[in-house]
Amino acid sequence: MTALIELTGITKVLKGQQQPRTILDGVDLTVQAGESVAIVGRSGSGKSTLLSVLGLFDRADEGSYLLAGQDISRLPERRAAKLRSSHFGFVFQRFFLLKHLTAAQNVSMALVNGQGWLPRRERRARVLQALEQVGIAHLAKNRPARMSGGEQQRVAIARALVRDPMVLLADEPTGALDTETGTAVIDALLAATERGCGLVLVTHDRDHAARMGRTLDLVDGVLTQRVTA
Amino acid sequence: MRRLSGRFRSALIIGLQGIRARKMRTLLSMVSLFLGVLAVVVVQAGASIADKALLSDIELASAVDGTTIIGMPMEPKATDIVLDTVDGRTDAVAMLGLTAMIGEPNVTPVNPGAAPFDEDWGGGVVCYGTGPCEPADTLPKGQAVEVRLTAMTGDVRPFRPLRPRTGQWLEFGTVPAMAPRLVVNREAAKGFERYKVPAEMRIGGATANITPQFVGVVDDGDIQPRAYVRLDELATWLPSAGVADPNSGGEMQVLVAPGSPVEQVLTTKLKAIGSETWVQTVDTKKEMESQLKLLRLVFLAMASLVLLIGVAGILNVGLATVGERVEEFALRRAVGTPRMLLAGIVLAETLLTGLFTAAVAIGLSAAGLRAVSVLFGDSEPFLKDLQFPWEAGIAGIIAGLVAGILGGFIPALRAAGIPIATVMRA
Repeated sequence: MTALIELTGITKVLKGQQQPRTILDGVDLTVQAGESVAIVGRSGSGKSTLLSVLGLFDRADEGSYLLAGQDISRLPERRAAKLRSSHFGFVFQRFFLLKHLTAAQNVSMALVNGQGWLPRRERRARVLQALEQVGIAHLAKNRPARMSGGEQQRVAIARALVRDPMVLLADEPTGALDTETGTAVIDALLAATERGCGLVLVTHDRDHAARMGRTLDLVDGVLTQRVTA
Repeated sequence: MRRLSGRFRSALIIGLQGIRARKMRTLLSMVSLFLGVLAVVVVQAGASIADKALLSDIELASAVDGTTIIGMPMEPKATDIVLDTVDGRTDAVAMLGLTAMIGEPNVTPVNPGAAPFDEDWGGGVVCYGTGPCEPADTLPKGQAVEVRLTAMTGDVRPFRPLRPRTGQWLEFGTVPAMAPRLVVNREAAKGFERYKVPAEMRIGGATANITPQFVGVVDDGDIQPRAYVRLDELATWLPSAGVADPNSGGEMQVLVAPGSPVEQVLTTKLKAIGSETWVQTVDTKKEMESQLKLLRLVFLAMASLVLLIGVAGILNVGLATVGERVEEFALRRAVGTPRMLLAGIVLAETLLTGLFTAAVAIGLSAAGLRAVSVLFGDSEPFLKDLQFPWEAGIAGIIAGLVAGILGGFIPALRAAGIPIATVMRA
């Protein structure tokens, strides 16, 4: 079966300083559809850079990146933007909700992005469906200021899910939340994997990492499989 | 095409959301731009109105553009030829200028020489019903008004748009009246209002004194008192020899519509009898445009300078706004928004701001013009019934759009260049 994501020998070197620094050093990673993978590591170990490469925010200096069997290592920005829109969903530590927009409008942001046009009725239906998936459809008309941190993060997850992505990339999604709310957010992310979506979660939280199918350690740019006791 | 339409709609929706979210900033941008757009609108409106006012005044005194004016001295043969040629035609009208005295007989008029009533030109003549005129100095001053009398073969208004003030204009389709109907100009009306004179008119060469009917007042742009009359009504009392009397100090003009054969026919006939004619085709607009062009350019340059200051304002606000929205733009790129669309969103916001500003400036200018027209229309006739010129509206919209593009261009480039990694590092 073709892997959803297949990284081979991904290397990223940070240039422009006195001495180039290797951030990712020959990373190999495979993620299957519906699989959840946690990546843990110390600050500065390259977790966010790996996520940037995975999410096509940044390009690796070496190595290959296959998405559902297609080589996307050297995509031009225009096509990368299209893939980000259609295949990826992103959840960040800070929720990045626009405070002047309602929850529904924030979710709709991922649909009104110049990558195809949906009629208003269809847009609204998909936004409501995404909000329902994370259990906050009743907050559709609320602005972020009137929502708790957990609710705001769920809106951010709904924004990531609204285009039915193949891959969910989450960068410390529970970092700004208490344990209970964090657990609920992880539940929402795992629910997406049940629908066949691959999940790559970058986290410092060992408990949340333990709930993923696999946990990988990133140490000084080298990715290794964690061996559970 | 479908993709472009989607991007255009997306830019418009997000742009409007951005404007709604930052009302104060939008207002500040509009304020900085307002004076510039207003200056362009006012200059354009002022120039259009001045053009029309000047043109209409010149048309009033001379003739509408394209009209050919054939002038000639009053001679019996020439007069007969002219009257024969233009008789019954609507594409040409002959105007015979005479001098008439209205009021008491055998007196020096209150305005010798048909002078305006508040000026003293000196001299003047007095005319008798049975004979030629003689200098008026010899006679005592009395209640009489001297006017220039224009006798017409047809309606002159298609050629000279005289502005009716009160009463009615001469009706040329009816049977000639025995008592000639007169329409006087405003200066003559002023004289008749100021001096109560008997309604008795004397014209050199007339068979008898005439009792005219005053039917209306027009504005003809003439400073001299003048009266207009149908030639056929005057002819009852004034034989053609009298009309064409070269000693009466009269003048004759034929106004010919563009493309009419009358000009060629008439000049040929008059040349054949050795009559001297002078022909002039009115081309006021062209002459006036060359004079006004430079003035308009100077004012437009000044308005553009004010607009440029407005552009600097919108640019400043735009750059500050993009600086504040770095995370938003990075996030939008993360969810797949192309760089071009990000630039489009910023441009859409500044363009919409420019258009809103233009709409406000145009609305205020139109309202201001209306107010000026209502308040000062009575004292300044050219301000009466002023319409907001559409050219000024278009100039305002163009100014708003150009300012929006110029002011939004650099912020748009900045927005498009924001790296997505901004959201990862936050």
